[in-house]
Amino acid sequence: MKNGIWFLKGVRKGVKTEKFPKTGPVEIAPWSTEIKGSGEANCPTDAITNGKWDMTKCIFCRRCFPNYEPTGNHEIFTVSEKMHQFRRSFYIYPLDSGACGACNTELHALTAPQYDMHRLGIFFTNTPRHADAIVVMGVWTKGMEEPLKRAYDAMSDPKMVILMGACAISGGIMGEGALKSGEYNVEIGGCPPNPYTILAALLRARGD
Amino acid sequence: MYWYEEGEPDGRFIGNTKKYSIYGSHYNSSIEPIHEKSAERKPEEFIFAYGPSTGGLMESVGLDILTPGEKITSISVDPNYKLRKIKVTGMSIEDALLRIERINGFHSASHSICFLRAVEDAIQIDVPDEVQLNRIAQIETERIRSHLLVIQKLAESAGFGVPVNQLSLIREKVSRIIGTQSGHRYFFAVNSVGNSRFMMDKLQEKLHEVIVDFRKIYDGLMESKLFLNRLQNNGINKDPESTGPAARGSNIRHDARNELPVLPYDLLDYFPIIRDEGDAFSRFMIRSDEIFQSFDIIKKINATAGSESMDYDLEKSSGTGMARIESPSGDLFYSVEIEKGNVVDIGMISPSWRNVLSFRKSMEGNIFTDFHFNWESFGIWISELGVDLS
Repeated sequence: MKNGIWFLKGVRKGVKTEKFPKTGPVEIAPWSTEIKGSGEANCPTDAITNGKWDMTKCIFCRRCFPNYEPTGNHEIFTVSEKMHQFRRSFYIYPLDSGACGACNTELHALTAPQYDMHRLGIFFTNTPRHADAIVVMGVWTKGMEEPLKRAYDAMSDPKMVILMGACAISGGIMGEGALKSGEYNVEIGGCPPNPYTILAALLRARGD
Repeated sequence: MYWYEEGEPDGRFIGNTKKYSIYGSHYNSSIEPIHEKSAERKPEEFIFAYGPSTGGLMESVGLDILTPGEKITSISVDPNYKLRKIKVTGMSIEDALLRIERINGFHSASHSICFLRAVEDAIQIDVPDEVQLNRIAQIETERIRSHLLVIQKLAESAGFGVPVNQLSLIREKVSRIIGTQSGHRYFFAVNSVGNSRFMMDKLQEKLHEVIVDFRKIYDGLMESKLFLNRLQNNGINKDPESTGPAARGSNIRHDARNELPVLPYDLLDYFPIIRDEGDAFSRFMIRSDEIFQSFDIIKKINATAGSESMDYDLEKSSGTGMARIESPSGDLFYSVEIEKGNVVDIGMISPSWRNVLSFRKSMEGNIFTDFHFNWESFGIWISELGVDLS
């Protein structure tokens, strides 16, 4: 096959990108969405106390089921500071501080045609020097403490720090969170967070 | 123990846990030394440090590349930048499983099922074939997704945008299928002792669409000389102890699926696919063929498999067990010691350990531009290497 045929193959396949965020998620795994319910939770990470669910700790292990159930709401994130400067172009640098690989592949999935983050002006960059935000995945590990600090220092202002997944925020069930409270701007819940959740959080973080 | 017995070193060497050397179907308490060749640095050579954090790699890993310029003399891999200390001893089987699932999230079904088979061996639970077949369906679905990612990364290394996006499209479809069938896109909280929550209903027809799409992409890649030229003769693997697709691509018939009856692949007439080139192209071909083969295996599994739920009294259970299964990257081994329902000792050997050794050997004499193709072709996961279960 001549390599130009790939272009035609791509065109013939048609547009596969979904209308998200204008419309809601097309298909979402239930155990990556908000949890609600009442009664005994049997939670191994204390993500449910007095009937209140804490997305920063939940690892979606289903031990709380059937007293608690997923609602299908993918918006499980918090943004403490929006940065409107990044509305047209938002470059993110992924940093694996101690992840199991699931967060890594879910973040990578944002380039899949279903989500196509590029259409929304969001791009990966291979160096923190070009990054507007650093996305930290995984628990704190001694060996990655210095690379994380150096990556943050290499970024120019204004800059944003995003913690992705229960491990990075609270340590989940695997250890300690990657950063201390006050050292980041965005928390994205999930174990791992669903791509819809990540995309919605990135859009909110830049002020959409 | 049903599948492993203590004995003199016999058969191929799988690896070392902290207490034992593990072979095909034996274990021995005298630990086999691992010899890793370190290259002597010549005056004209320097070390090019790559990582631990870089956009070119999916995970954090430190790579020191010894080179005089373009040719790579040797390469060392440090997986311990993101070393996670995960304590599972002293925990109940269920609590330990939550952590085992997260050793390698992308191959979570393989890790959790292998761990559970070792536990079930230790406490002598006879798991029904229906549940075992359901677990095979999980592992084979996971294999399809894992191989798609490796092939996507190979196409990405060649700068082939259209196949990268089309592979990404179908990989996401598989993730959604897993999410629909099990409730979670990474098989977390799907397996437990003697049970499985993976629904087989309509799995075959959903995956059929993915396989039809992959066939078209595969045919296109096979006609793209630029892509094939980057893989052929790149990273020739001659390591006789290699594992997974790297072994089977080098005419080495290593495959836990037909070596040990830890899972009943014999009920599905399984046979390993073998090629003899040994290069990155061969590993690409093995993975492509295994995608079709995994789908054929799933088609043979009854749609009701695993629907029964059974309760086991774990609190009084004790014993020692070992199991080895074929994860998408190769041999995955777990040993456990259970005392009154608690894990008191655990050992794990990941396929990425052996794949890193094979990768290092295959990289000697190659050039820098070959690096990404070769690295991706081995399907190495740092998360299952940089982990301390003690």
